[in-house]
Amino acid sequence: MHTGQNRKTDEILNSLDGFSRAAAPDLFYTRLKAKMLGQLEKGGEIAIPDQRAWALRPVYAVAALVMVLVVNSFVLLQKNKGGATNSINDTETFQSIAAEYSINDNNGLYDLNQDK
Amino acid sequence: MNEAELIRGLCSGEEAAFKELVTTYQDRVYNTAIGIVQNAEDAEDVAQEVFIQVYRSIHNFKGESKLSTWLYRIATTRSLDLLRSRKSKKRFGLIQRLFGDSAEPLYEIPDFNHPGVKLDNKENAAKLFKAISQLPENQKIAFTLHKLEDLSYQEVSEIMKTTMAAVESLMHRARLNLKKILEKESG
Repeated sequence: MHTGQNRKTDEILNSLDGFSRAAAPDLFYTRLKAKMLGQLEKGGEIAIPDQRAWALRPVYAVAALVMVLVVNSFVLLQKNKGGATNSINDTETFQSIAAEYSINDNNGLYDLNQDK
Repeated sequence: MNEAELIRGLCSGEEAAFKELVTTYQDRVYNTAIGIVQNAEDAEDVAQEVFIQVYRSIHNFKGESKLSTWLYRIATTRSLDLLRSRKSKKRFGLIQRLFGDSAEPLYEIPDFNHPGVKLDNKENAAKLFKAISQLPENQKIAFTLHKLEDLSYQEVSEIMKTTMAAVESLMHRARLNLKKILEKESG
């Protein structure tokens, strides 16, 4: 009984004797080329080196765009909040600079038409 | 065109070189893939992906091994990837069924008949392939490359990036496991 089972198992294990290699289907190269061209048309994936391909994936591009928009909106909001105070501060700064370099009333010095 | 010329041609994007690569290696790549994934359509997909990967990354090929070794390595990796995705799909399908989300039948692999097997051995070979599909990944790769591609232990060890002794041990364990599986299935 045991020997019978062993013989059957050995038969199965040896069933690949005289085996020949499976050949790729006909027109394999034509179909491969069509697949590659299809991928190229879709998004040029084939021509993109693997290392940089991730950066061009739509999900990363959209994420980057959203991030830029968020940062812009945040900056604009901050600017609008303190807009009035800032303009006063700016005027004060300009005035102090003008006073420091004595350029408040000096326009006349450069008025070339003064003598005419 | 010798191997060095072929690689040079591939690096410079010559279509003639790519065509020669495909026609030279398509049967070896396809036969390896069909032995592992055990489905003709999936094997063709895998073989196509292998050549696309070679086309993309030929610049990374340093020539430390033979081109065929590199191709076999990509073919086995791609085939295993496909098996893993098949497994995870099956697991996901099971979960979906548990929660009653899907009425789709689970993807079961039917008995596989390798086109290269002799007619009188077809039935036994189908049983053997079913048993091979239950082997651990490393044993499956070693067994497929040695038995179906007729590669020596030395060549298998280069493809698997391991030692010859390790391949011998993998083959020994594969045979023992196959025997166990076959004996269990025949009752």
